[in-house]
Amino acid sequence: MSEKSCPVSNTIAQLDGILQSNRVKNPKSRRIVEELRQLLNDIAWGRAGKDHLPSVESLSQELIDEETDSAGKETGSIVQSAVHDYRETIISHIVTHNCATGDCVRLVPAPCQMTCPAGIDVPSYVALIAQGHDDEAISVIRRDNPFPWVCGLVCTRPCEFMCVRGRIDKPISIKFLKAFTAERALSDRRYLNPPKESDKDKRVAVIGAGPGGMTAAYYLALKGYGVTVFEALPVAGGMMMLGIPRCRLPREVIDREVAMIEDLGVEFRFNTRYGKDITLKGLQSDGFEAVFLAIGAHKSFRLNIPGETDFPQVIEAIDLLRRAALGDRRIPGKHAVIVGGGNVAIDTARTCLRLGSEEVTIAYRRARAEMPADVEEVEQAEDEGVHLAFLTIPKAILGKDGRLTGLECIRAKLIKRDDSDRLFPVPIEGSEFIIEADTVISAIGQQIDLECLSDLKDLKWSRRQTIQTNNVSMETSIPGVFAGGDAVTGPATVVEAIGAGKRAAEAIDRYLSGIPQPKMPPVPVRRTRVEWMEVPAGTKMTLRRPEMPLLNLERRRTTFQQVELGYTENVVREEARRCLRCDICLRCGKCVEVCRDMMGVNALEFGFLNFDHPAPTDFRLTAERCILCGACAENCPNQAIRIIDRGDERLLSYCGTILNRQKLERCRECGAALDPPRYLEFLQKRTQNISPVIADRTRCRACARRRTAGVHVENAPAG
Amino acid sequence: MTFHKGQRVEIFKKSDDEGWDSYMDEYVGLHGIITDPDTSINDPDALVEISLDQKGTHRFPQDCLKILEV
Repeated sequence: MSEKSCPVSNTIAQLDGILQSNRVKNPKSRRIVEELRQLLNDIAWGRAGKDHLPSVESLSQELIDEETDSAGKETGSIVQSAVHDYRETIISHIVTHNCATGDCVRLVPAPCQMTCPAGIDVPSYVALIAQGHDDEAISVIRRDNPFPWVCGLVCTRPCEFMCVRGRIDKPISIKFLKAFTAERALSDRRYLNPPKESDKDKRVAVIGAGPGGMTAAYYLALKGYGVTVFEALPVAGGMMMLGIPRCRLPREVIDREVAMIEDLGVEFRFNTRYGKDITLKGLQSDGFEAVFLAIGAHKSFRLNIPGETDFPQVIEAIDLLRRAALGDRRIPGKHAVIVGGGNVAIDTARTCLRLGSEEVTIAYRRARAEMPADVEEVEQAEDEGVHLAFLTIPKAILGKDGRLTGLECIRAKLIKRDDSDRLFPVPIEGSEFIIEADTVISAIGQQIDLECLSDLKDLKWSRRQTIQTNNVSMETSIPGVFAGGDAVTGPATVVEAIGAGKRAAEAIDRYLSGIPQPKMPPVPVRRTRVEWMEVPAGTKMTLRRPEMPLLNLERRRTTFQQVELGYTENVVREEARRCLRCDICLRCGKCVEVCRDMMGVNALEFGFLNFDHPAPTDFRLTAERCILCGACAENCPNQAIRIIDRGDERLLSYCGTILNRQKLERCRECGAALDPPRYLEFLQKRTQNISPVIADRTRCRACARRRTAGVHVENAPAG
Repeated sequence: MTFHKGQRVEIFKKSDDEGWDSYMDEYVGLHGIITDPDTSINDPDALVEISLDQKGTHRFPQDCLKILEV
């Protein structure tokens, strides 16, 4: 092996080849090869602990000892000789997390993928969408997230926040692209589940049919485990189903994605509450070897103000949303006041409007800038007629004869305290006022229902009243019991719960297979490298992020019809073409440096490469200055810049964006293709002092040689 | 310290908070960008979500974070 290639990534590549070729037929040996690949992958990504190398050694020995499988023996020998020959290098990977060759970080995920809590390979699926391959795009997404359609509609899209295109103009509309392609691929049933691994004859219980629980169930089922999901409610979906109104996330979308999980053989047992209908002991005696707690955070915080418990018209937001989701269409009140400033408060307000409330007010104790709710959701709520009362602190619930009549509030001002730069709302004395109301809804946050887990005496809790877990392995203080999602993080996002469910599935698989847990959490994994699409620089610069068409306001105030109507196909394909393909360009800036400092041309105005201080970017300017020398392409470590001759042109492209194209000069004698005129001119200038005889570069080498060979003979010194 | 979405931060020390796991020791000195200030904004006790350069996205206690002037 050359010193330039990494033994770890090289061995992984060899194992990949063996697995793909299906040479190892023996199921046990094949499983060991897969485990070896998993362990070596941990080593490559700096996630390995002290047990990894001994495990690699013992597993490879196990392969060699397998009498009946020669291919397995051969594979075991490959791994063992790599460990023998490169032990120090492998230990360096484990201890220092350093790969001297750089091979192990060659496939560095793009910022959008790194930011996604589920680690979805965003650039790859966006590229597939641009090409119109919706099924393949969904296949890439579902490697990391079994809910592409749900996330396409309700994700908080941290990926867009980190999108490098946002350093040029606006981020790619990743969320809506995902929604479109999921709708296409899933509605006509073109996309099917990937094949399951062979049955492992082991059972796992998942408590909670929310995004975290169902994600774990999906990946465990794919790995061949028998999975049963226990859910307290009569429907699957958890907070996706009960906490998000149908106008944002139609129930049918959840149903369709849940059905795909059911298709893998996952069993759902509804109306089964942990702590009441089932216990850990009972599950263990039923043969479940591991349990994943994904119970969410469904219990609302109380307002703790006078009058709160005196009137039945004081309700919890989550209760109202749950009732509405399950079909209760009664008006909560004509004048509803919602206390809070998060997404749940906004969703509750919009639900009240649709249920028929005439006046809906959100009372929030801080200012608009501090509101945790998604800005677009807030704007949509205001458009629909929700009134926002900022700097408003609830003081007491008012009522008469058992009927709620209003919410007494006090104005607040935001001040900084000496020990903090944080703004705190402080009541302004004497500024009390009353908001007329016949229902008050608390939406100030949720917590975990501790009571349902009271049988788990050994379960450790954090001081934040969440389940204490090892963040890497998701293990709780009870062996064989794992936990994730809101029950561990506190109320968070759907995509975070999905990420936790995926990690838990991997951890449970390792636990049940007896292989060591990784020492570090996983880094998102590149799934593929999709070929780029060619886009002219002018088009790349002038395409604009499209606006999302919305349902008309009248319907939004009265129905639960989906508000965001979705992009059309043309819009989707165009928007996907705006992607810069940061999975290919690592943004090292070598191309810019070489062009500017070495060649003195300065044709690449790539201001976006500086993530923190982006300068102007204009791909179109390259064509004005570039001489098509190819120095940028030659020095690009990841082949993001490419220079090729096609027909009678030379093309320079950056991840598919055509930066420059120029006609090639032809040999004046034989017509063979030469270089573009600008490059010939550049060469001429560079060489005119040292080689005047070949200053005429309008002939190809062969013709030039023929032409000058005779002269050389004539001028050659005698003898 | 108040953390806002988009701020560039450094993990400048270990935290004593129970939300700090031993593997996080390896993240000390790394830079990242805040992607979710906390789950209920303006909570000085909440774990904030940070996308670390080359290391994925994780939640950290606030006392180990320093805002980098950019």
